[in-house]
Amino acid sequence: MSPDHEPLTLDAHRGDAAVIGPGSAGRGRNLVPAAVAFVAVVALWEGAIRLFDVQAFVLPAPSVIVGRFVATSGEIWSAGLNTLIEALVGLVGGTVVAVVVSLVTVRWSPVREGLMPFAIAANSIPIIALAPIANGMFSLRSLVPKMVVVGVVVFFPVMINTTRGLLEVDPDEIELMRSYAATPREVMWQVRVPHALPYFFSAMKVVSVLSIVFAIVAEYFGGSQEVLGQYILTKANLFVFPDAWAGILVASILGLALYLVMVVTERLVMPWHVSFRAEVS
Amino acid sequence: MSDAVVDARGVGKIFGQDEDRVEALRDISLRIEPGEFVSLIGPSGCGKSTLLRLIGDLTAPTAGQLTVNGKAPTQARTDRDYGIVFQKATLLDWRTVTKNVELPLEIMGIDGREERAARMLDLVQLGDFGGHYPWQLSGGMQQRVAIARALAFNPSLLLMDEPFGALDEMTRESMQQEVLRIWGETGTTVVFVTHSIPEAVFLSTRVIVMSSRPGRISHVIEVGLGHPRDVETRESQDFYDKVTEVREALRRQEQAS
Repeated sequence: MSPDHEPLTLDAHRGDAAVIGPGSAGRGRNLVPAAVAFVAVVALWEGAIRLFDVQAFVLPAPSVIVGRFVATSGEIWSAGLNTLIEALVGLVGGTVVAVVVSLVTVRWSPVREGLMPFAIAANSIPIIALAPIANGMFSLRSLVPKMVVVGVVVFFPVMINTTRGLLEVDPDEIELMRSYAATPREVMWQVRVPHALPYFFSAMKVVSVLSIVFAIVAEYFGGSQEVLGQYILTKANLFVFPDAWAGILVASILGLALYLVMVVTERLVMPWHVSFRAEVS
Repeated sequence: MSDAVVDARGVGKIFGQDEDRVEALRDISLRIEPGEFVSLIGPSGCGKSTLLRLIGDLTAPTAGQLTVNGKAPTQARTDRDYGIVFQKATLLDWRTVTKNVELPLEIMGIDGREERAARMLDLVQLGDFGGHYPWQLSGGMQQRVAIARALAFNPSLLLMDEPFGALDEMTRESMQQEVLRIWGETGTTVVFVTHSIPEAVFLSTRVIVMSSRPGRISHVIEVGLGHPRDVETRESQDFYDKVTEVREALRRQEQAS
């Protein structure tokens, strides 16, 4: 998992002549190309299935999937809600633990040196292989084992990215704080944490989607039936493929929703960041 | 105890050990009196920035004795005796200009922050820009905010490490004029690192010429141009003569090494 955002370094040549207008809402996005692309892909898909008479077990038409999605919406959303709860609890839990570990290891480097090898070793465990074992630890219908799997999946990328952000600080800023005789706590909150935010949100955008994915995969290993993974599995086993696809549609909507929550939160928390500044010609 | 703001006696600094050992400074002795404007000038690697960082207790000497305001540098730093300006403005992107100037005041628990920050921004002639973010300002304006921030808590000493090195020549000259004005208004002692000869002469009461490998003080030149200084100063014969004197000093030590 590599952080995928641009580094925070400032562009030395940024507008040297004049004051740049206040960056208000950030860059405006033109949604038209995306909408056109979406409609085109759906239309192609629908047309191809009708034209070549593709069987539903290969790939159902979008109209059929949406039809089943509407018809079974009560059942499908109640399964989706349970999956969402698993994903959310795992996401929040894994994130909180990851951030606390990052803060502690950055603040006290011996802790980092002691802990990091184990964190890296733990990351090499195929987490999903733990799912059947986790199921055995709790009661048959419990959602907790799925939450645990999601939490473990979330932990590592968030911890690694946040730690990196906390450490990647301009040395001049640290010396500036030193010249003020600032305490390590002040250095942490005034300098390191704001620097880590972009790294943190990069990780959150990835793991928010992964949390839904891994909740569903964990559900395939059994436990409660009132969940999206079991719904999709059951419908597929019964050859009711349009219903299975409708379940996948719900999973995608949930993943997308969590992702968008992260995007909006990021903007609210760090409106000053370079990626949100108004384009000025 | 001495009255000097900076008192260095036989100060040396060695980085690393064994094969990696680099002698950055050797036998530096220097007294800087209150109200002086002293420039450190020399080729890259002469240790001028290191000397500034020793004064600021951002690194520790390996030989000799150094006091700042009659105290050990660490004590002077924890007493918040100096403000520092780097080559980069080093403003925090997530704080407005005003909030950046307030940063040291917050950390030091000084009251009346807003009013002080406003006064400092007036001092650097950025009174109208308090609500802007650093990235909305030009490089010269950013550096002026950094100066306002360094002076916000009334330090008796201002350390400047090539503060105008990244600015264009025009901006640079107007910033020099600003710094002289601020120095005159505040009475702060200034230690200024530069590699520009005219800059050192225009600003300083005294220019310390350093030589490299290891860094030593090779010449001390009293400028004696009087005050106030302005564009006419830059065009005067006395100014040219001093610039020539510093240039000759730099050349002589280069040939000697």
